Amino acid sequence: MDAVIEVKDLVKEYIIVKKESGLRGSIKSLLFPKKTKFNGVNGISFSISPGEIVGYIGPNGAGKSTTIKMLTGILHPTAGSIKVCGISPQADRKAVVRKLGVVFGQRTQLYWDLRLGESFELLRRIYQIDQVSYEENLAVLTDVLKLHDFMNTPVRQLSLGQRMRGDIAASMLHSPSVLFLDEPTIGLDADAKHAIRNFIKEINRTRGVTVILTTHDLDDVEQLCSRIIVVNNGKIVEDGPIGSIIHKLTPHRMLVVELQEPCQDLTTPHATVIKQEGLKIWYQFEKESISASELIAALSQKLPIQDISVKEPNVEDAIREVYKTTATV
Amino acid sequence: MVSTIKHYVSVASCWARLAIQRQLEYPLFLFSWLLMIPIQYFSGIWMLKIIVDRFQALNGWDFPQLTFLYGLGLISHGIFVVFFINTWSIDHMVINGGFDRLLLRPMNVFFQLVASYVNFIGLIDCIPGIIIFVYGAEIAGFEWSLVNIGKLILVLIGGILIRAALFTSLGTIAFWTKRNGSMVGFALTMLERATMYPLSMYPYFLQALFTFLIPIGFISFYPAAEFLHADSGGIDLPLSFALWTPVVGIICFLIAGGIFKFGMKNYESAGS
Repeated sequence: MDAVIEVKDLVKEYIIVKKESGLRGSIKSLLFPKKTKFNGVNGISFSISPGEIVGYIGPNGAGKSTTIKMLTGILHPTAGSIKVCGISPQADRKAVVRKLGVVFGQRTQLYWDLRLGESFELLRRIYQIDQVSYEENLAVLTDVLKLHDFMNTPVRQLSLGQRMRGDIAASMLHSPSVLFLDEPTIGLDADAKHAIRNFIKEINRTRGVTVILTTHDLDDVEQLCSRIIVVNNGKIVEDGPIGSIIHKLTPHRMLVVELQEPCQDLTTPHATVIKQEGLKIWYQFEKESISASELIAALSQKLPIQDISVKEPNVEDAIREVYKTTATV
Repeated sequence: MVSTIKHYVSVASCWARLAIQRQLEYPLFLFSWLLMIPIQYFSGIWMLKIIVDRFQALNGWDFPQLTFLYGLGLISHGIFVVFFINTWSIDHMVINGGFDRLLLRPMNVFFQLVASYVNFIGLIDCIPGIIIFVYGAEIAGFEWSLVNIGKLILVLIGGILIRAALFTSLGTIAFWTKRNGSMVGFALTMLERATMYPLSMYPYFLQALFTFLIPIGFISFYPAAEFLHADSGGIDLPLSFALWTPVVGIICFLIAGGIFKFGMKNYESAGS
């Protein structure tokens, strides 16, 4: 199957003028600007197959938004090649953009002072959607995203959750095959997040829409993405199925043991004590070397255990680990 | 080709309708504009009358001719403000990343910029302009023949295109400087001085500047001179000026469009 997105050796160079402080500094930078070149994106390659939901994550300033903007035709790369649905966004922006839906969490594409429905009508014309498909699509979107209640409300009066749902609907009206979501759940309450996550799973399942999700909310990533690409300092540092990345970076689990009475010797060759709070002890053990049940058996032979729980490392732990080890000094 | 035109017309008319609705949301603004603009322009023409009566004709241009000139400039300004007001926000959009959304849509970006807001309130600007122009035409002895009306329409279209080209080019500079220079005010003042008063009263180098480099003299001065057989200053151009203006307008507009396209390649968007 042909990749729906193909990126090779992508580079984006920025020219930065070094500014010095104070009045003398400002005058100096005006007359003798010290320009340095800086690669916001420094050689990125990946390919995404149709129907994947990929999390594209990284710390602030890692080059995520820059990559996404080059994929969507907003920015021009300095070097490298991009193909979206087989077409280069730089060669034929309009053709590529027709197949893309893009949602920026922090900026809306809806008209502030008009009813939600008016913005949809405009988009129908811009994308030249035929009336039948438009009405069908709108009905489905209104239903799944529950827009009936505020379809006729001016956008400026909508809550953030409502506006986000409106923006997502707007991005899907023309039935794009690829959806880019930039912080789609930012600032939303638990209910709204849940609704949006369900929507994404749904359109991926029923319509095979490829989804690229850029977010700092790792719950989103955990719930939705089968694969994550981690970017740092303009380069890809991890790319693979979410399970294996977590396993690779945080190959340990946690066993929390609560004792019946205080004990002196808490050590065990199979695990390390990470923390102790009164009668509660946190043991960290390697998944590879011992299973949870074996460790419990070993510990219960020497300790009077009242209660146990097993904790899995989550995406957040793994990602923090990546950011830490790949940060520039 | 035809379907593309239909597409663009359909989107433009949708935008025009939405623009009216958006402007109707703020009736108080409409009302205050209705008061302010006529006062501004009528006081301008009154001041001219005082100057001419008190002193003497400006460079051989008497009051009727000056009124005609003033009115002609006002009309092309008024119509420009209705259709091209978004060219005034190009530098803001560059800095705020406003072009991102336009680039994500399968249509020409410049078209989206211009067509997305039709400033109907600007039609109010046209009213005093039309009144002053018609009055000036009467007292200056302008003949309302079919040929003249045809020439007038061409001159107005050309004038609007030249104005649009000017503001577009100035706004496009922001793609490189990335600062809010806001040349809009400066451009408006320059336009006022060169279109509402006879160019012939300025020194030669300014006349040359406004004829050959920034051809705003073609917006109203040269056409008015041609229509009224008045003194067109130190520069003599062959052929009827009424034919020059739309041609200059189209050329300038195409050049400005090219500069804009080139500027878009340098677009760096904004932050996140």
